[in-house]
Amino acid sequence: MVWLAASGLAIGIILTIGLLALVASKGLATFWPKDLVDISVTHDGVSEKTAGYIVQERERQEMDGTPHEEIQLFRGNGELYGERFVFIDSSMIITQEKPNDLMLIERLEGGNAMGRIKQWVGADGEITAGHDVRLMEQINRAIKRAETLRKSLKQVEVVEIGANSRALAKVHQEIRIGRGGVQVDARLATLQREFAALDQRRGEIKKELEKGRLTLTISDGRKLEIPAEDLLHVFTPNRAGFFGKFGESLRRGWEFLSADPREANTEGGVFPALFGTVVMTLAMSLFVTPFGVIAAIYLREYAGQGPLVRLVRISVNNLAGVPSIVFGVFGLAFFVYFLGGVIDQSFFADKLPNPTFKSGGILWASLTLALLTVPVMIVATEEALGAVPRGVREAALASGASKWQTIQRVVLPASLPGILTGVILAMARGAGEVAPLMIVGVVKSAPALPIDFTAPFIHAERQFMHLGFHIYDLGFQSPDSDAAKPMVFATALLLIVIVLIMNLGAILLRNRLRKSQTASSF
Amino acid sequence: MSEQPLSRPDPDRFEVSKGTLWLDRAMNHIIRIGGVAVILAVLGIFFFIVKEVVPLFSGANVAAEKSVLSESKRPLEMGVDEWGTYPFLYDGGNELTFISMIDGSRKRIALPGIDGTTVTATSYDPIHTRLTLGLADGRIATFLIIYQTGFDDSAKRTITPSVDAEPVYEMKSGAGAVRTISYGDGGGQRLLIAARDAGVSVLRFGKKRSLLGEGRLMLLGETDLSGKFDAPVVAVTASQNGDDLLVATSDGKLRFFKGGGGEPKLRQTFSPFGEEPVRRMDYLFGGVSVAMTGDSGAQKVLSLFRPEGASERQFGETKAFDAIGVGHPIFSPSLRNKTFLIGAGKTLSLRYLTSGATRWQGEVDFVPVTAAIDAKSEHFFIAGDDGRVQRFKLDDSHPEASWKAFFGKVWYEGGGKPVYQWQSTGGSDDFEPKLSLIPLITGSLKGTFYALLFSIPIALLAAIFSAAFLPPAMKQVVKPTMEIMASLPSVVLGFLAGIWLAPILQDKVPSVILVVVSLPITALLFGWIWSRQPMRVRGLLENGREWMALIPLLLIAAWGAWELGPLFERMAFVYNDPASGMQIADFRLWWPQATGLGYDQRNCLIVGFAMGFAVIPVIFTIAEDALSNVPRTLTAAASALGASRWQVVWTIILPVASPGIFSALMIGFGRAVGETMIMVMATGNTPVTEWNLFSGMRTLSANIAVELPEAAPGSTHYRTLFLGALVLFAFTFFLNSAAEIVRQKLRDKNRIA
Repeated sequence: MVWLAASGLAIGIILTIGLLALVASKGLATFWPKDLVDISVTHDGVSEKTAGYIVQERERQEMDGTPHEEIQLFRGNGELYGERFVFIDSSMIITQEKPNDLMLIERLEGGNAMGRIKQWVGADGEITAGHDVRLMEQINRAIKRAETLRKSLKQVEVVEIGANSRALAKVHQEIRIGRGGVQVDARLATLQREFAALDQRRGEIKKELEKGRLTLTISDGRKLEIPAEDLLHVFTPNRAGFFGKFGESLRRGWEFLSADPREANTEGGVFPALFGTVVMTLAMSLFVTPFGVIAAIYLREYAGQGPLVRLVRISVNNLAGVPSIVFGVFGLAFFVYFLGGVIDQSFFADKLPNPTFKSGGILWASLTLALLTVPVMIVATEEALGAVPRGVREAALASGASKWQTIQRVVLPASLPGILTGVILAMARGAGEVAPLMIVGVVKSAPALPIDFTAPFIHAERQFMHLGFHIYDLGFQSPDSDAAKPMVFATALLLIVIVLIMNLGAILLRNRLRKSQTASSF
Repeated sequence: MSEQPLSRPDPDRFEVSKGTLWLDRAMNHIIRIGGVAVILAVLGIFFFIVKEVVPLFSGANVAAEKSVLSESKRPLEMGVDEWGTYPFLYDGGNELTFISMIDGSRKRIALPGIDGTTVTATSYDPIHTRLTLGLADGRIATFLIIYQTGFDDSAKRTITPSVDAEPVYEMKSGAGAVRTISYGDGGGQRLLIAARDAGVSVLRFGKKRSLLGEGRLMLLGETDLSGKFDAPVVAVTASQNGDDLLVATSDGKLRFFKGGGGEPKLRQTFSPFGEEPVRRMDYLFGGVSVAMTGDSGAQKVLSLFRPEGASERQFGETKAFDAIGVGHPIFSPSLRNKTFLIGAGKTLSLRYLTSGATRWQGEVDFVPVTAAIDAKSEHFFIAGDDGRVQRFKLDDSHPEASWKAFFGKVWYEGGGKPVYQWQSTGGSDDFEPKLSLIPLITGSLKGTFYALLFSIPIALLAAIFSAAFLPPAMKQVVKPTMEIMASLPSVVLGFLAGIWLAPILQDKVPSVILVVVSLPITALLFGWIWSRQPMRVRGLLENGREWMALIPLLLIAAWGAWELGPLFERMAFVYNDPASGMQIADFRLWWPQATGLGYDQRNCLIVGFAMGFAVIPVIFTIAEDALSNVPRTLTAAASALGASRWQVVWTIILPVASPGIFSALMIGFGRAVGETMIMVMATGNTPVTEWNLFSGMRTLSANIAVELPEAAPGSTHYRTLFLGALVLFAFTFFLNSAAEIVRQKLRDKNRIA
């Protein structure tokens, strides 16, 4: 029987470590560049060549029970093939090799492309053939150039034209409410002139972007043209050694963390989601810390310890066990529809019926999560307050400190690590919650970040992206789930790492706290 | 030694600075107010959710508004515009009287083409606003009442009524005046049934499709049904799809004719009230159910559905309402939902089909002769036999809601029997929302059950081992590892279960079964073999380290069982293909054949496994705490008396800690019931009421997460989702409270011991 009990623990440990290992390996594998293979396939006497990297090898059972070996190949070049993923029966493969000149090309639209470079036409019209040694240098320069141009295009489109159109809207509003006049008309004319200039600049940048193109020969002999503005990165995995691949995976990892998503979130990075998660979690802890601490101080230090307080304490404890979705439901009804409605009525009446705060947003999401985690916070803080030795308190009171002075200068500093543990635990729980967010403001693709450089800088009403929802959306709502899979694993890994680091921090803090308190108690 | 004056302490020393006192007092208040406010806010969640749910259970509000006296005595038909402001009355003459409810003004519009004859039968179809008149000479005239909405200079809405006369039809068969009549307008297919002094005829209309869109309406033919009845016809009604006919005769019999695009054929003869004749029958919104009132005032609703075993849809009684009393029966259907207004004598009653509930019942002080509900279902009008028109305000936001609709079996339109069903939204206007929470609650409990089935053994065994046998140094590492499991975001678990695990396991069920069986057997077997080894061998492994030895062993056993799975499948789960007679070893096919239940890729096996990750650490942590807190005096005493390690656990630790374990299980249960993301992602989200291990489900929590973002605030659907949340809240709160109380009792007991 002892062994049976031991098996329970063993299984538990296996499950935990196995799951972490699975997510870690699958997530990290996303970044590791795979070798490109050139495969000749024969099917019903017709032979065909295709290239790509192998996603998985698996055994499939036919309906009559015979097993089949097959590989799943990512062959890219979506516009030529249609389906970017393809299953190939192992028995149909004649040759499989790893030629050194196959290239993997990441681009802005259409997903990855792969093939051999036939020629490159630069922005100045200069033609470089595929075997030229200066080729890579030129392409990389063009990529840099396109990046700079895109940046300035974005600056013009989003920032300058955005400011212009906001100013225009203001002028129009003034005219509508009858406060027009010569001055307003003059301003209107200036703004319109400004817009024309900006529009022209936008056109120039766009034209500049369109210059240059890369011609690929793909493995079945067809040609693929890629405009230089779409090029993001060119890589030759088969030529790169271990360190080359390592460098490439670091680059991909960094891109994953820092770039905006592309191609319906299946490529690019998760920066907005990461940013949204961090901002939402920080905002939540900003709400939850003072409220949790105040409530805990009240319960522990001020309220009489009668049956009523006991009851309240049990209730607060139990709220930690109430399903998170219930908090989401409450958040929707109370924060979004009720509070948001009131705020819209009183401050944003001119924008009605378009809602400003009466729709899901990061403020409501973080408030909802704060409510969800406040019981955790109260319990942790109460524990920390209770762990402050009685003697220390009495010493402070005996030295003539008032009650608040005792709390402020003695009790709170002593219980600070415990409170911090509570904050971290609350943040960890909040960062991993998704269900309530689905109701109160998370979206699959937000047009703008909740904090940016346009006044008033913090946009508490904006909808936001979240790593957890990103996983759900990519994994379950994505039109191309095969293409999304690596991205989801990487996102899952990132989320787990964030949550685990916070939890480990809390556990370590707790352990250190225990030690320091055993030393100081007498 | 000179005497020195004693230095007197500065009196200020004993004074507390004003600032300190003030701050102290201020903080006193701030913390009290803040603390109470936070706690109230947190507890207020419950009340706010209740507040959103309560309106579901209030009945309809009906209030008498304006009443206007018209000149027409004893009106026969009444209709009203969409806004409930301009009702018209028809009293059998050759004009309609429109009465404005805003200023009481009247407008008369003549009905062309019926001069020189008497109107002997009337019927009004509020959906198409068509008034159908049967004349004494056997002709039939129909008129469309048109309300033109416009806006005047001050942007106020104006309504201009007008009448559009349709062609007059003459019946070829039968003789005498038209006594009862009904027009069923299904757009391109229409039926007009009329019973005359002698004979019953049906006119069929249709639109021939042409290249230039829909064709013109044409009379396709006339069918003489006279021979089908052996008693005088008392009531007729044609359905809104222009295909079904119901004819009631004075001997209590009802005959159901179905056109099917051609001549109506008798499909069914039945007697809803026995011998008692039907006095009035009218189709409800949607055209599937018919409200019938018997001669004695008894009221029933009959619906078209396919009875078990039958190949065609037939009428059958689905709802019986309270009798309405005797007197001239009046009726009007809502055009928004399945509400209908009926009345007899001076009693009026608003009833809702789906739940079979009477939403409102009241009396008026005059004798009603006809009624109308406006298209928005915001007002209804009653005309009295003295020519009075009374407007009522109707406010019934949630007619679909009732205890029975949420928790009882309901007989929905088109269904063969009463069922529990959840289907909150549908494609058409006349969709009947199916709001039973039972499939969702069942789904929640089902997911929880399978999750606990998987996680309780592992969590409890692990907790026992950790608390009773594990060396303290090792515990410091093992416990946080298990706790880390608790912090895994459930969205990650759900994703892994739904996207990664489900496809792997879908054709590997036999392997899974073998793995589940083999693990405990391996552990027990190895333990038994180990205990037979000489002391020298056993000494190799310290007590409390058994689990480490088991890890490779269990991994090997699991791998072996996994690989043996296909063999097991060929031995035990062979599917006989009835079509080809082939034998296929495939569990996915075998299971439905052997048990008659379905097999889904995302099934309870997957859910149980994924939820295990969420539930195991919860149960483990709390149970481990309870087991560790058993006083050492007890265990030491047992050991001293010669009990073996397992005997100490079985006879001392487990009984003493049992309440704590119980509370651990309850908290684990609460966690599993409310888990959302795993349920959304790994269950397939089909609402079911069966307990099949290999099918999916839809849980309360997943249902809220999926549907709430789309529900309109304040709608019945929205509030019903809140009710679901309330059920979850109450359930988990109750479980946790019980667990908490048990745990506190246990703590007190152990302290004394």
